[in-house]
Amino acid sequence: MFDRISIRYKLIVLLGLSAALALLISSVITIYSTYLSESRSSLRVLHQLTDVISENMRAALAFHDGESARTMLAALRADPHIQFAVVNDETGQPLAEYRAAAGQAAVAPLLEGVQARIRENADLLGREEGFVEHTDDETMTVLRPVFFEGKPIGLLAVVSDTRLMWAKIRELVLLQAATSVVTLLLLLFLSVKLQSVFTRPIMSLIHAMHEVARTKNYRVALESDRRDEFRDLHEGFNTMLADIRERDDLLSRLATTDALTGLANRRHAMEVLQTMAVRARRKAEPVGVIMLDIDAFKRVNDLHGHPVGDLVLQAVAQVLQASARDYDLVARLGGEEFLVVCDSGTLEVTTAVAERIRAGVEACPIEHDPGATLHVTVSLGVCAAVPPSAAGGVEKMIRAADKALYRAKEAGRNRYVVAQEEMG
Amino acid sequence: MRIAWWGLALLLCLQFPAAQAGDEERKLEAVFIGRFASYIEWPAKPRDRFVITLLDDNPFGSLLDDLYRDKRIHNKPIELRYATRLDQVGETDALFITLSSSAARAAAIDHAQRNGILTISEAKGFAESGGIIQLDFVEQKARIKINHAAALKSGLRIGAPLLSIATVLRGDKL
Repeated sequence: MFDRISIRYKLIVLLGLSAALALLISSVITIYSTYLSESRSSLRVLHQLTDVISENMRAALAFHDGESARTMLAALRADPHIQFAVVNDETGQPLAEYRAAAGQAAVAPLLEGVQARIRENADLLGREEGFVEHTDDETMTVLRPVFFEGKPIGLLAVVSDTRLMWAKIRELVLLQAATSVVTLLLLLFLSVKLQSVFTRPIMSLIHAMHEVARTKNYRVALESDRRDEFRDLHEGFNTMLADIRERDDLLSRLATTDALTGLANRRHAMEVLQTMAVRARRKAEPVGVIMLDIDAFKRVNDLHGHPVGDLVLQAVAQVLQASARDYDLVARLGGEEFLVVCDSGTLEVTTAVAERIRAGVEACPIEHDPGATLHVTVSLGVCAAVPPSAAGGVEKMIRAADKALYRAKEAGRNRYVVAQEEMG
Repeated sequence: MRIAWWGLALLLCLQFPAAQAGDEERKLEAVFIGRFASYIEWPAKPRDRFVITLLDDNPFGSLLDDLYRDKRIHNKPIELRYATRLDQVGETDALFITLSSSAARAAAIDHAQRNGILTISEAKGFAESGGIIQLDFVEQKARIKINHAAALKSGLRIGAPLLSIATVLRGDKL
C-alpha cells in the first residue's frame, strides 16, 4: 500500500508522523514531569501544614486539651483540599478531628486508611523526626508524631485530596493537546511546502527520462544548479546518456563502415546511394557511379600473404578518400571491390574522379616490409546519369558500371571505361 | 439494719466510678505540673536542681515521686519537697498549693511573687487572686487558667503554646 503512494505524499506522511511522534514523546515527558513536580509540591505543602499544626498541637496534647486541638484543626477549613485530619493522644485515642464539610460521607475510608498506616508504621512514628507520607489517585496523607520532652505524646494525620493537582494536570494536558494540534498542522503545512525541495529534482529527472525515452534523443544533458546528492543523480543520468550515445555511435559506425579500411560498407553505401538517387531524380541531376577493382589482387595475396593484401586494401582506400570530393561516397563493397558515388556527378566530373583514382593508385608505393614496396593498379567502370525512376534504377547503374569495369579489365586493366549502352 | 447495709453498698457502688475518675485526674494533674514547667522560663537561678514544692496536704501520695524520679526539667534533675507551712518552703521553682484558707493562699502567692516562683493550685478563684496557674477538671477535662500579669510580676515568661490553650487573665483581672 505504502509503495503505491507518491513520494511526495510519503514525504508529507513521514514528516507528519515524525513531528507527531516527537510531539507525543515531548508531551508525555512534560506531563509526567509536571505530575511529579505537582505531586511533590502538593506533598511539600501538606508536610509544611502538618509541621506547623503539630508544633501548635503539642501543648494541646500535653494537657489533653481536646477543645484547643479541635480549634486548631478547624483552621484547616481555609484549605478546601484538606479532607480530613485527626490528632490522637499517646494512647491512640482521637483527641480531636476535622472533617471537610463536603466530604462527610467519605471520612470512614480515610480514617481506616490512616489507622492502617499507623499500624503499618508504628516504628517509624515512634521516632521524633519520623513521618509517613502516602499518595494514591484521590488522596495524599501525611502522618507525623508529636513529641514532648523527647517522648511521643500523640500523632497528627492530615489527608488532602488530589483534585488541585489533577486539575493542573488536566489543564496542562488540554494545553499540550491544543499546542500539539496547532504545531502539527503548522508542520504539516510546512511539510507540504518543503516536500517540493526533495520532489522537484526527482520529478524533473523523471520528466527528462520520459522525454528521452519518448524521443530517443540521447544527446540531451540535464542541467542542475544543486550541490547535494541530486547533483550526483543528475550527473549520473547525464553520464549514462553519454555512455548510451557513445555506444550508439560505435554501433552505428560498426553498422555503416568497413572495419579494415574505415570506408562505408556495402549496406550503408546502398542506403546512401538510394538517398542520392532520389534527390538527384527530384532535381533532375546526374549521379556518377564508379565501380573499381584492384588488378591482380589474388597474386598480391599469394605472393605476399593476406596481411600485405590488407595493407594494399588500406592504401587503395586512402587514395580513394583523397581522390574523391568531400561530398562523394567511397565504400568497400567486399574483397578488392570498391564503389565511389559522385553526388551531382556529370560524366565529365565522374571520369575526372575515376582518372584521379587510377593515377593515384598507380603512383602510390605500398611499403609492405621495411624498405620493400610494391605497386598495384585498379580498373574502373564509370556510369553517370540521372537515375532511372523505375524500381531498381540504382541497381541498373551499378550493374552498368560493373560491366564497364569488366570491359576495362578485358581491355588490359589500369584504366577506366565509361558505360554507355548498358543504361539504355 | 439490713436496709441500712444495702444502702451503704449502693452508696459505695455509686462512689467507685467517681473515685476512679478522681484518681485519673490526679495522675494527669501530677503530669501537668512537670509539663507546665516546660513552657515557662524562670529568671536565671544558681541552682543545680529543679525544685517542686507541695504546700500543705499531699493529695498525690507517692505519685509525684514515682513520676519524677530520675526525670529532668530544663535539663536539671527534679527535687520534690513537701511543706506544711509557708516558712518551710524555702528556695523553690514551682509551688503546688493545696491550702484551703484563702488568706494562707494569698500569703503563699505573695511569697512566690517576691521569689520568682510558679504557683499552681486547683483552688477556685486561685488565678483571680494572683496565683499563676489554676488547674481544675470539669467532666474529666482539664481547664487551665493562667494569670499572665501575675506571671510577669513574678518574673516568669509563659510560652505562647501554653497560653494558646489556656484561659488567660490579663492585668485588669489582677
